[in-house]
Amino acid sequence: MTILNETLQEEELKIQTPSISRKDEYESVGKSVLRKDSVPKVTGKAIYTGDLHMPGMLFGKVLLSTQAHALIKSIDVSAAAAVPGVKAVLTSRDIPGENAFGIAIPDQQVLAETKVRYIGEPVAIVAAEDIFAAEQAISQIQVEYEPLPAVFSPFDALKPGAPAVHAKGNILYHTKVRKGNIERGFDEAAIIVENIYRTSGQDHAPIEPEAGFAWIDAEGVLNVFSGTQYAFRDRRQIAIALNLPMNRVRVANMTMGGGFGRKDDVTAEILVALLAWKTGRPVRLVYSRHEAMMSQTHRHPTYTRVRTGANKEGKLTAMEGVIYGDTGAYASLGLFVIKKMALHLGGPYYYPNYKSDSFSVYTNNPIFGAFRGFGVLQAAVSHEGQIDELAEKLGMDPIEFRLRNCLRPGLSFSTGQLMTNACGIATTLERLQDYLVENGLSIELHPEVSA
Amino acid sequence: MKLRGIGVGSMMYGLGYGFARPDFSTTDIELAPDGTVTIWNGASELGQGLQTLLCQLVAEELGIPYEDTFIITADTGRTPDAGPVSASRSTYVQGNSALKACRDLKKPMAELAGELLKTDPDQLIFKKGLVQDQNEPSRSISFTNLAGGMHQRGRRVRGSGYHSITTGDVDKETSQGDAYATYAWASQLAEVEVDTETGQVTVLRLASATDAGKAINPKMVEGQIEGGAVQGLGFALMEDMKIEQGEFKNAKLSTYLIPTAADVPMVEPLIVEVYDPTGPYGAKGVAEPATIPTAPTIFNAIANALGQRVRFTPATPEKMLKLLGKLEEKEEQITIEDMPYPEP
Repeated sequence: MTILNETLQEEELKIQTPSISRKDEYESVGKSVLRKDSVPKVTGKAIYTGDLHMPGMLFGKVLLSTQAHALIKSIDVSAAAAVPGVKAVLTSRDIPGENAFGIAIPDQQVLAETKVRYIGEPVAIVAAEDIFAAEQAISQIQVEYEPLPAVFSPFDALKPGAPAVHAKGNILYHTKVRKGNIERGFDEAAIIVENIYRTSGQDHAPIEPEAGFAWIDAEGVLNVFSGTQYAFRDRRQIAIALNLPMNRVRVANMTMGGGFGRKDDVTAEILVALLAWKTGRPVRLVYSRHEAMMSQTHRHPTYTRVRTGANKEGKLTAMEGVIYGDTGAYASLGLFVIKKMALHLGGPYYYPNYKSDSFSVYTNNPIFGAFRGFGVLQAAVSHEGQIDELAEKLGMDPIEFRLRNCLRPGLSFSTGQLMTNACGIATTLERLQDYLVENGLSIELHPEVSA
Repeated sequence: MKLRGIGVGSMMYGLGYGFARPDFSTTDIELAPDGTVTIWNGASELGQGLQTLLCQLVAEELGIPYEDTFIITADTGRTPDAGPVSASRSTYVQGNSALKACRDLKKPMAELAGELLKTDPDQLIFKKGLVQDQNEPSRSISFTNLAGGMHQRGRRVRGSGYHSITTGDVDKETSQGDAYATYAWASQLAEVEVDTETGQVTVLRLASATDAGKAINPKMVEGQIEGGAVQGLGFALMEDMKIEQGEFKNAKLSTYLIPTAADVPMVEPLIVEVYDPTGPYGAKGVAEPATIPTAPTIFNAIANALGQRVRFTPATPEKMLKLLGKLEEKEEQITIEDMPYPEP
């Protein structure tokens, strides 16, 4: 079987080799022209959402949940509403449309209604004449919680009888990848390495914390300005929450200080729109760094068990893996992040036999969503650990071992999809070989390699 | 004792959304009487350089100076929907839609030029500010004059381009199928120094060979590579999100440490160009590929230095000392028994 695969691989290589782009004669393409946004940014003229101001503008502020999992017994806003300068104190009762949103599935509440599911979930919002009044009002809101049992790891969340974060259960999504015959693949292996890898959460830390600005124009259109990765989805979700026709809502992106995936979700947009709609006044809502870190999404923490086999010629024969991804209190893009991770768990290598399962699991942790790398970054920690260890145990140069096993045009990915000529992995590895030579470096195997 | 090691790490990344999720873009462009061009695209400029990239593509496709392009992005009141900015898709999807908008505008322009030059519109090329018969270069008109002529005669001066890479879904039970429109590739190399007394890992150099297909703007690709390396380094060694009983305990930049200039090693961007015939001028996205391999590359360099492998993030000094057996590990560890492989 292995020999057959190898022959196939060699045959395919003869037919297709990657084509490198020709030396071009382009005028603009391939040139490091001055960026369109450089001058306004370095001269300080660029306008970020937090810079916006209008006559009559109110300042918004959000009250975040202090409980990981609790029923809301009551919310008393009377003291907050009595603070001088306060124009609105809103809770879930004040939402004209649906109190639901979410990128992939609308399982998230604009403002928590009967239950909170994480520390940092928005519970109430305030608009006031100045930020100090808004802050004072937030501190005056009385929320009575009844704590519920909570789960803080995917393993606890999957135990029989574990507290349910959502009514439909704690498994958001289970992905299965099945290619070839995994048992035969490991039978053919001369060496198998098996490990557990753990990756932690990560904050996106964009230089600009989340912010939104909303006002109603002369035609009655609700305008929302923010730093967003997708204005059109924000518009749809604002319209649904406010019960407005979608063409009566306008969302525009301001100059933005990064997103890295976090601003793909709705952030301040629905909340600031709600405050403007209820007060009829322009409203600006700017999250502090701490508020942004507490309430917004992060990178999924993951736990991966994986075993990888290679034959004595140094060819990969099989990979089997199982992944548990903590998606936190709400789905965000957690089903797709952890699904993508299952597909990419083997990395840029050819495995005739591949089996992986991934579980995206709800917990009462903060929300984990899209973040530059999108599950593939977590997968890389596993597959590059595995590949490097196999190379070491086989006594092979790590780059040579990768080149021997990397995907090539005509070979198939974990999903069976055939790679095209635009398969550049070998070229990137060869570039590193050149780099080593250019810099007089070499990779010497460590003498005390763990056996 | 300070030990040094070198390691490598690679990645592949399915570009765009896959799984039948909508993955499209529309770009509109308009020709002014003076030959300048305005571009509308619904995608966001996050600082990654999307506006610049789309202007470069349009300038190239129309054969006009980059300075003659102006772009308006991400405004539901003005721009067409271009889908989100994520999944490293902007160069690939929004870029292709911009090229299609140019081709749509070039049709009526070539028709008028053909009439004026008494030649076949299909033989006209747009290059260096001219619209020219490729077989008979003496038959040519400046782009600017042609633009004026288009307006005088009331011809169509708007172009629109729609591009979609929306895929089918993979099989529910096996995930077999064509998952993504194309794939991105990268490999990195790191040299590290590990202080076995303090557990401190210092990255001395990081070389990043990233396949851009075709670097539309090499400086911007380098920016993605350098930023990606720094974000990956933070994930590998520093960014320790402490969540206790559901609470993010260090949700401040004074206690949640991200890399500063002092932590950043020499990053060497090595741009690789393996032409992708489905990308605009052969290009594809580099945003995520530039950060994905960094952490395991650093971990493999640590293994090369120590002979011991890091299989967790972040490898803070404290956790490195635990790995080296110089500090006691008190946390309960997940074991293989906790993670059985599901049935076939």
